[in-house]
Amino acid sequence: MINLTELEKKIIASIQGDIPITERPFLEIAQRLGVTEETLLEKLQGLSDKGVIRRFGATLRHQKSGFEANAMVAWKVREEQVDAVGENMASFREVSHCYRREPTDQWPYNIYTMVHAKDEESCREIARRLSAETSVDTYTLLFSRKELKKTSMQYFPTVEN
Amino acid sequence: MPLMDDIDRAVLNRIQSDFPITSRPYLSIANDIGLSETDVLNRVVRLKEAGIIRRIGGNFFPGKLGFVSTLCAAKVPEDKISLFAETVNHYPGVTHNYQRDNNFNIWFTFIAPSMEEIESNLEKISKETGITDILNLPATKLFKVKAHFDL
Repeated sequence: MINLTELEKKIIASIQGDIPITERPFLEIAQRLGVTEETLLEKLQGLSDKGVIRRFGATLRHQKSGFEANAMVAWKVREEQVDAVGENMASFREVSHCYRREPTDQWPYNIYTMVHAKDEESCREIARRLSAETSVDTYTLLFSRKELKKTSMQYFPTVEN
Repeated sequence: MPLMDDIDRAVLNRIQSDFPITSRPYLSIANDIGLSETDVLNRVVRLKEAGIIRRIGGNFFPGKLGFVSTLCAAKVPEDKISLFAETVNHYPGVTHNYQRDNNFNIWFTFIAPSMEEIESNLEKISKETGITDILNLPATKLFKVKAHFDL
């Protein structure tokens, strides 16, 4: 964890939702925070350089941008192969997320990948390729049937005008 | 894809992962793509209104901000899904929640200042909804997290 100044927390709060779509969005935010635009830009760059900001920019609704289907694929991988398999799967461009998670008695899977494609059959095909590539044949595809919530985390309270 | 033309795609590819942190970000993009600043802005406004852009802002690693995150899965009977979703979604730390086709049919992410807080909230959720099969699956290793889609 990185120690953040009060100003940095306020800056994070100001970009954890939507920034204005205007010619000078950072000037508007800076004025709200009571700092100069230059200071804000400098601090934002610093937070990016430190890796606190993982990515700054637009998040798309991929259902509307040609990636209609997505599946979470849970894989049961032999523990001694987890690192190699995880890295291999992560190298596929169709895989957007790849994590190791601890298996449980009820749920024996330990690698999770998110795959995105134009339809469900294409997602299945990607999973078959990942399986063939890594020789992991115990896996399950979990297609999303309904989005029940999707928001961005409010880490710090937003400064009111 | 009638909603988008090739220039829209070029703009979207750029602002997903290389949004300029500069005084006039849309002017920088306009210069690179060979458009006017107004044209780029109008396109971004339209793509936001059309729902193709969900949001423009910062994305963080919770751990770097002193938070923990986890993925939870619950086995919820059909007739209890709305109640369960409503109860779970009430927590601001639940940022994503999907119904998926599996016995474990409700999958949600949970972010909080500590794992103890998440565990105690999961217990509360169980008590309130009667759903006891809830898995807590924190990531123990991150191989990839990307959110850029080449259009």
